[in-house]
Amino acid sequence: MRDLRTVRGLSQAHLGQAVGVSRQTINSIETGKYLPSLPLALALARFFDTTVEEVFHEDHA
Amino acid sequence: MRTTPETRTDTDRNEGRDVTRWAVPAVALLAGLGYLVAGLLGDDPRFAWFGLGLMVVVGVAFLVLARFSETAAGLRDRNDERINQIDASATTFAGSTVLLVVIAMFMVEVARGQDGAPYSALGAVGGVAYVVALVWLRFRR
Repeated sequence: MRDLRTVRGLSQAHLGQAVGVSRQTINSIETGKYLPSLPLALALARFFDTTVEEVFHEDHA
Repeated sequence: MRTTPETRTDTDRNEGRDVTRWAVPAVALLAGLGYLVAGLLGDDPRFAWFGLGLMVVVGVAFLVLARFSETAAGLRDRNDERINQIDASATTFAGSTVLLVVIAMFMVEVARGQDGAPYSALGAVGGVAYVVALVWLRFRR
């Protein structure tokens, strides 16, 4: 997810604001400390205009 | 019409958030007013006014903190699922700690030859509350 975000030049705060969570939560997801709920995972995938698998498979590999 | 997560509108959600945003300061103020009434009824005006003042300070401090801390802001807005989960876990930990202390103090009181009051009643309330919540949540989820 970090790659998808940085490629678009977005900050964690901007992404968090876009999907309705805090910058800390985006950071926790990117560092693998927090596993998002299905609605949040879908919101992130929709934001990046891709699939949930595409957003998260790198993080869990 | 009964609103469900599926039928709830954005307006409903925003109204709910507006209420939630003031929940902590409101609870602090209510607790302070409770201290005030209890202190005045108990003929202890110093406790009464100190208690009210302390809880007002706590409520205002939370509002100020929410402007600088993402965690405090999350606790106020209730929009962030991670903060909500952390809050639920912290609440569970705090409740479990209190219940353990209540049970321990009940045993201490019984060992001292007392009937265990008020810890027996407090423990019973905790146990009943857990069962009620378990049944309630079982049918909601």
